[in-house]
Amino acid sequence: MTDEDTREDLADRRGLERDVYQPAEDSRLLAEAAVEHARGRTLEVGTGSGWVAEQISRETDATVVASDYNLEACRQARERGLAVVRADLVAPFRDAALDTVAFNPPYLPTDPDNEWDDRMERALSGGESGRAVINPFLDTVGRVLSADGIVLLLVSSLTGFDDVVARAESNGFAVSTVRQESYPFETLSILCLE
Amino acid sequence: MKESLMEILCDPLDKSDLELEVEERDGEEIVEGRLIGTTTGEVYPIEDGIPNLLPPDMRDEE
Repeated sequence: MTDEDTREDLADRRGLERDVYQPAEDSRLLAEAAVEHARGRTLEVGTGSGWVAEQISRETDATVVASDYNLEACRQARERGLAVVRADLVAPFRDAALDTVAFNPPYLPTDPDNEWDDRMERALSGGESGRAVINPFLDTVGRVLSADGIVLLLVSSLTGFDDVVARAESNGFAVSTVRQESYPFETLSILCLE
Repeated sequence: MKESLMEILCDPLDKSDLELEVEERDGEEIVEGRLIGTTTGEVYPIEDGIPNLLPPDMRDEE
């Protein structure tokens, strides 16, 4: 066993908070919007601890699937009783298979010389612009949506709200804001893309 | 994973159909097995009930 394996094992035994994003204000905002708007076959991308997907599953009639890139997040979400798929964004979902896709993306703009380079960074960092994950998501999510499907996407003012809206519109979406809350350092919005 | 999930899953590489091979089942839940790309031949493992559908070049990162 290498030193790195030992460190991983210790981290696993000491608790998971270092590895998996736990619910916060942004999660609550997305959950509220999703409980109101989600319907049909619903996917939460980047589910992290699985908390948002669990709220949707509990509070609506939607059939919920959760996905994450991180295996440990997938395990935590599964422990909540959710159907879980380890995936890169929407890559392994069929064309037009989903009625609702919800996503609280990693969005913090990050200095490339000062990245943490661990799993929590992957859960938080949106690269230099804050949009390194949001952009490929916006460019691919249309494929998996059903004819009247919707996307619920959390956007922070730190990420460049106008840039995210413009990218969504260039992918053919009509964009509306269904929730918005201001905090000391950022304003969080939930966009609905149709 | 439940077998009904097959309705919405596809090969992440070319979006073609997947074939399911079950090794261990617990009621409706497929605990161990694999999903195989019908055109790519790529094998995606199902371990502890979680299908790993990361594309092969991302799968080895951890």
